[in-house]
Formats: sequence, C-alpha cells, structure tokens
Amino acid sequence: MTGTGRKRAGCSALGLFLAIAALLFSGCGDLSNDELNRGVESLSALAAQGQLVANGVARDATKTTYARVMARTLGGEAEHEAEKLADATIEEPGTEDQRHAAVAVAGEISGLLSELQTFPGDERHGELIEKHLEEAGEKADAIVAQLSGDAP
Amino acid sequence: MKTIFKIALGIIAAIGGFLDIGDLVFNTQAGALFRYDLLWAVVLGTIGIAVYAEMSGRVAAVSGRPVFDVIRMRLGFGFGLLALIASTLVNLLTVAAELGGIAIVLELLFDAPYSMFVITGAIALVLIVALLPFGGIERLFGYGGLVLFVVVATVFHQNPDWGAVAHGFVPSLDSSTLYLYFVVGVFAAALMPYEVHFYSSGAIEEGWTEENLKENRLNALLGYGIGGVLSVALVIISGYLFHPLGVEPSDLGTVALPMQGAFGETGLLLALGGILFCVGGAAIDSSFAASYNLAQFLGWEWGRYQGPRKAPRFTASWLVFLLLGIAIAQSGINPVEITEYSVVFSVVALPLTYLPVLLIAGDRSFMSEHANGRIASALGWIYFAVIVVLSLAAIPLLLATNGGGG
Repeated sequence: MTGTGRKRAGCSALGLFLAIAALLFSGCGDLSNDELNRGVESLSALAAQGQLVANGVARDATKTTYARVMARTLGGEAEHEAEKLADATIEEPGTEDQRHAAVAVAGEISGLLSELQTFPGDERHGELIEKHLEEAGEKADAIVAQLSGDAP
Repeated sequence: MKTIFKIALGIIAAIGGFLDIGDLVFNTQAGALFRYDLLWAVVLGTIGIAVYAEMSGRVAAVSGRPVFDVIRMRLGFGFGLLALIASTLVNLLTVAAELGGIAIVLELLFDAPYSMFVITGAIALVLIVALLPFGGIERLFGYGGLVLFVVVATVFHQNPDWGAVAHGFVPSLDSSTLYLYFVVGVFAAALMPYEVHFYSSGAIEEGWTEENLKENRLNALLGYGIGGVLSVALVIISGYLFHPLGVEPSDLGTVALPMQGAFGETGLLLALGGILFCVGGAAIDSSFAASYNLAQFLGWEWGRYQGPRKAPRFTASWLVFLLLGIAIAQSGINPVEITEYSVVFSVVALPLTYLPVLLIAGDRSFMSEHANGRIASALGWIYFAVIVVLSLAAIPLLLATNGGGG
C-alpha cells in the first residue's frame, strides 16, 4: 500500500467514468454532522487496526517490513483524515469543538503510527504504541458519542 | 496421483480465479461490517459459479467450443461485440487490480517501492507463462494458493461463536443499501465472468473431450468448493476479529492481520504467501481470459499450447493486456478501489456471459445426451434470474453507497 494519495480514476467507458466522477465529487465541500461522525468513526477504526499491528510488534510476532508498511499506510490514512476534517466547513453549528478534537486525535494517531513505522522491530515501543493507540481510539469514540448525543 | 493432478484446472480456477483480490477484499469487508450476516451470500455465489463453470466446461468438452465462441454463436455479432467490450473492460480492471495486489504483498514482504513491484510482478508472470507449460502454471498457483488454508486454521484456532456463525448461513434481509451493496459485491466477486472464460478455454487447452466430463464435474465441485470454504473462512475471521473493533479493512495487508494474531509471524507469512499465489493466479487467469475472448471473437489462432509462433496475435494481445494492466496499476489508483469497481461493474456484464452458456448447455440438438438435466437447468435459470436482478441493482447501489463507503 502505497500511501494515501491514490486517487480514484475513471474507466474508459463513459458510463463508468460518470459513475466514478459522481463518486469523486460526492463528499467534498461542506461537512454534515453525519460525515463528521463517519470521519471520526474511521479514526477509531484506524486506531484499532494500528493496535493490532502494534500488538504484533509488541509480541515479536510479526515481520518488520509488514509492520512498517502497514504503519505507514494507516498513518497516511489518519493524516489524510486529519486534513479532510481540518479543511472542511462545518454545516451544523455547535460541532466546531468536536471537529477540532477530531483533528487532534487524527494527528495523534498519525504520530503514533509514524513512531511504529520507525521502530517496527522494537517490542517495548510496540507495547507503548498499542496502549496509546487504544487511548486515542477511546478519545475518538468519545467524540462520536458527543456527536450522536450519547455522551453523559 | 494422476487424477489429483488432473483436477488442478478446477483448483486454480478456484484459488487463482475464484479467490482473487475481489473475494479477499469483499469477503473481509463483509465480515468486518456485518459480522457473519453475509455468509449465505458467499454460499449462494459459490454454488452459482460451480453450476456455470460445470456447464461451460461441459460445453467446451463436448463441442470443443469455449464460452466466447458460444456467446458469438448464440448472441450474434452485435451482442457478441457488446459482451466483448464489457468483459474486456472488466478483465482489464481486474488484471490491473491483481497486478496491484501482487505489488502490495511484495511491498509488505520486502518494503521497497510499490511501483517497482508492479513491474517486477508482471515480469515474473511473463517468465512463468513463457517457461512453464499450461499444466505447470495451474499447479504452481493452484497448489501454492492452498497455503491460504491458514485462514481456516485461524478460524478453528479462535473458536468463534459457532451458533452465530451457523445463523449467518440463513439468508437474512436488511433494508440498508450498504448491506444490499455487499450482497451484490460478495455474489459478483464469486461469479466474475473471466472465471468461466478462463475455465472453458483452459478445458480446450488441456484437450478435454467427452471422456473428461466426470473430471469437469469434480473440478467444478471440488475446486470452487475449496474457494467457497476459504471465502467463508475469510468472512468468519473478519467478523470475529474486525467487527467488534470497528475495523474497516481498506488495505490488502489487513486481510493477513488475523493470521498474525493467531499464529504470529508464521501465520502472517503463510497468509501473505497464500494471497500472493491467489492474486498471481488471478492475474494470469484474467489476462488470459481477455486474450482468449478477443482471439475467439475475431477467429484468431489462440491458446498457450500453440505457442507464440502458431498464435502470434493471441500472444501479442496477452502482452498488451498485461502492459495496459501495468499502466493502470501504476497510475496511482488504489488496487482495492479498482477491485471494488471491477467487481461491481462485472455484474452488469454477467447476463451477457451466462445466458449463452445456459442456452447452449441446455440445447439437446447441440449437446445431445450431455445437455442440461432438470436440476442443472432449474439451477441455471434460478441463478440467471438472480444475476439479472443484481445486474440491474449494481450501479444504483454503487452510487447510493458512495462505492461502499456508506
């Protein structure tokens, strides 16, 4: 995998091109509450996936190249999510704080995965990063709960 | 022993064709999103491809005509051309996705640039095709892909809630568009048209006659059955591990994570090796299928057994398809996204592929005593009805779910 910069592209047939173009343009611009929610949920999912990779490193149960490439890919996705959340305009008032918090969590996940990428063979680092990713995931879950009104 | 080697055609069709990057991605995502709820759709797709592969192999063995020959004969030039264009586009996207899949696995194993591995992978495929006979290619990828049985071992190692797993085999209705999109995706991934194109042309490559009909049935049942077992295992392990964590597998590397969790580095390496053989086999299947279709439609000499001298246009077209696949894979599009589109768009091409097979396999004037019996005929028509419904729903669902993104 290969970074997150890969873009969707159209196929040669016009119909396929239009379908993909429709997909390309959907989701850009203003950020609805639902989209913000989905974005934060995907951060939680990235943190969970990163935790599994870090767990392999912590247990010395993985291959360093695999851990490094996976950490790079997932970190890139977290960074991309951070950029998307930071650039979008919030449609619904009152969710600005959650958006800022989500950007911070995305940055935190990206940083942790970057560290894992640097030390894919270090069991101690793996253990710490796994723990911190779990905490970052919990933060993301808490933001989701706030956005959906389930927070205490 | 000879019989075991003979069923390799079915096994490569199952491992390298049936279980390609599309199945790996869709089944893993289906488990992560819906836990075990889509297991019934995997079984439905597996039976469907076994039914149609058996028919196409039987037609090839009895008449000496592969699927695309039959398509043109039954549908005429106009619809035949439409089927050729549709299947070529889907095959091309599939070749690109599989080459991308090879590069991803090599990148995970050796951590060097992805683009370098796209080219390295393609060169390796050319060398394999140039150096090995057709049977050797089958055996290499077919038996290599069996390494992926580590997924089945992982399922038993993790011991999921078997009651919940069993419940997943009962068809359930969910009105959400995302669920319906994944029903279409899982089903379509099992019935990709290139599988029967390759299977029936492979039967001609191997010189099948009426004497091979038993072998054909065994191939279709055992080969696709094995593919189905592996697909089911992927859904179960993904539902067991990823669903509770909310993981959304968007990368091929994620598919191998559960095996690392269960068996450490050994499990991880076996999973990556199995994936490599699967996508490698599927790259050969789909690129060959594209060339088979073109050559059969245009009446060129074709076949790996003929060699480049006797079938130069077939060989040249195979290389061109491979080069185009490289170009798409190198363009920066995520192979997993290419896969999702190729699988969903293939649904639209399915009726054009499967209707002629069904018609010709049931034609007593053409197949005499080997024509479809009542069961094959009934199953064929039921599946064709399902295919038509799904082909109508595929594109609207793709758009409604933002390409499965929800």
